[in-house]
Amino acid sequence: MARLQLKNVVKSYGIYEAVRGINLEIEDNEFVVFVGPSGCGKSTTLRMIAGLEHITAGEIVIGDQIVNRLGPGKRDIAMVFQNYALYPHMSVRENISFCLEQQKISKEEIQRRIVTAAETLHIGELLDRRPGQLSGGQRQRVAMGRAIVRNPKVFLFDEPLSNLDAKLRVQMRTEIKRLHQLLPTTTVYVTHDQVEAMTMADRVVVMNGGVIEQVGPPQELYHRPVSQFVAGFIGSPAMNFMPATLVSGGKGLLVQLEDGSSLPVPVARIELYERHVGKTVTFGIRPESISDRQERPGFAEIQAKIDLVEPLGPETMVYFAVGDRGLCACIDPESNPKPKSTMPLSFNMNQMHLFDPTTGRSLAMG
Amino acid sequence: MNVPKHTSSALPVGERLGFVAFVAVSILFAIFFLMPIIWSFANSLKPAAEALANPAALFSKAFSFENYRRLENVGAGWYVYAGNSILIAFGTIVLTVLVSVPAGYGFAKFRFPGQSLIFVVVMATMMIPFQSILTPLFLILKILRLQNNLFGLVLIYVTFQLPFSIFMMRNAFDAVPRALIEAARIDGASQWTILRRIMLPIALPGVATVAMFAFLNSWNEFLAALIFLSDQNKFTLPIMLVNVSSGIYGIIDWGALQAGVTVTMVPCIILFLLLQRYYVRGLTAGAVK
Repeated sequence: MARLQLKNVVKSYGIYEAVRGINLEIEDNEFVVFVGPSGCGKSTTLRMIAGLEHITAGEIVIGDQIVNRLGPGKRDIAMVFQNYALYPHMSVRENISFCLEQQKISKEEIQRRIVTAAETLHIGELLDRRPGQLSGGQRQRVAMGRAIVRNPKVFLFDEPLSNLDAKLRVQMRTEIKRLHQLLPTTTVYVTHDQVEAMTMADRVVVMNGGVIEQVGPPQELYHRPVSQFVAGFIGSPAMNFMPATLVSGGKGLLVQLEDGSSLPVPVARIELYERHVGKTVTFGIRPESISDRQERPGFAEIQAKIDLVEPLGPETMVYFAVGDRGLCACIDPESNPKPKSTMPLSFNMNQMHLFDPTTGRSLAMG
Repeated sequence: MNVPKHTSSALPVGERLGFVAFVAVSILFAIFFLMPIIWSFANSLKPAAEALANPAALFSKAFSFENYRRLENVGAGWYVYAGNSILIAFGTIVLTVLVSVPAGYGFAKFRFPGQSLIFVVVMATMMIPFQSILTPLFLILKILRLQNNLFGLVLIYVTFQLPFSIFMMRNAFDAVPRALIEAARIDGASQWTILRRIMLPIALPGVATVAMFAFLNSWNEFLAALIFLSDQNKFTLPIMLVNVSSGIYGIIDWGALQAGVTVTMVPCIILFLLLQRYYVRGLTAGAVK
């Protein structure tokens, strides 16, 4: 158990900078998830923490120790790999005990720890099998067993669930979270799946192009994204974006869309956006902020011609167009609209976002 | 368990005929390839007179170990030559494995300057016909005082075995996922432990293949053994076979020759059958991930 600090960490391969100066402090026992599209540098960052990649510049501190020059085996970390990386010629028991043997721990202690880990992960009856005889979920458990027996300072997970089928993934997700509650340990978890990030993390780190876009608790990222990238990446289905112009009209501000329709900015937000009047902006609104319910204060109604309807059960997704932009809305399943029909949809403008179209930064951030 | 049956009776007539034809052709080919081996073996168990009988019979009623007994009188006796062959084969296997395993590991899992070039050079030595450098080799061994020495011959065999063996081991180690090494490094294993406990057991089919080729090539090799060994007590089995055949005044003792061939063949066949499973896996390692 320890704090983990990344200070201006850079990784370059020749002239290509995969990670371009990352600063991050991870608290003791915190569960932090790195998320981002492939090639954003999240896995490289994890591998640098593990010591599997050299650091081009900067400093990594685990506990009170700078670990830049320490080998992976000396950093007191444990890692769960995407493909589990279980030793195929060893039994589950040998797989789990291998790292303890390297640390010259006594046989009795190794035995004791294996039993405890096996109980925690329900793999007691698998101990004498080979990895080849296990299912994906079981291998995943064994890989976690191998990590927890060490009582490491930091747990590292490199997309551990991406090889599992959808149902098992959800199950293992909750198990990993439960395990973290049971054995609180500083954890860094890398995934490209924003749902995993949202559900598991104390704090989510969104990376893009080798830099950190935003760090924060899942709810903060969802409600107050600092950039269009974060807004588009977090949340499923993704946020709708439309080019628009911010104009002043009547008593307040209006967001004027490409097709000419205007949506009033709620009074509470006027002060925030006032200084951007006259500018071209990117208007963002989440599908779940568009509904077919009656208009309420702060809601703006438009007439939408429905292209496509996707009933999901608890909700129904409808696709429609404003100008030449396709939008998605998440509506009450009871309303059951027909494709090609027209229906009124209201935008909950209290949950609107405006971004600078050139920098992508949120205008709410000042 | 409900296993689909592929017996001929379960198939329609056309396919059944095809299957029968396939089996018949396969048997024909098998006989074609096995015949020399069976012939040698059968002849080695016949009395001398029968071996040259006309018409030739595959098996004869007269059964005798006479040929094997006569083998003892060839030169220093067949067991001396067999002993030499075993020593040389064993030495070649050990040295080849000792060098090719770390070399293959290095080529597969480390990046260093000139890596591709060095590998190509190592591979290129496979193109050089062994016969063309017999004279320089002879001179080198002479300078090293290893001429007419079993160890010298082992060194020659290892030299010619290495390019293929290094290539095999590189492929075998290449096929081991990098993540396993990384997991072992995180587990705190040293480079030596990683090689010994993780990589080698997984690449064992490759090692078996390398060992088997080293055995077969050194066991059956004739020309180098003939040239680099001059002392009769140091000869290997293939050279003994020539001595059997040239006997007295060049009269060929066919019976004893076949007994010699059988003695030479048996270890190869046994080893091949024992290692067959590993050997096939080793050759195809890395072909498909």
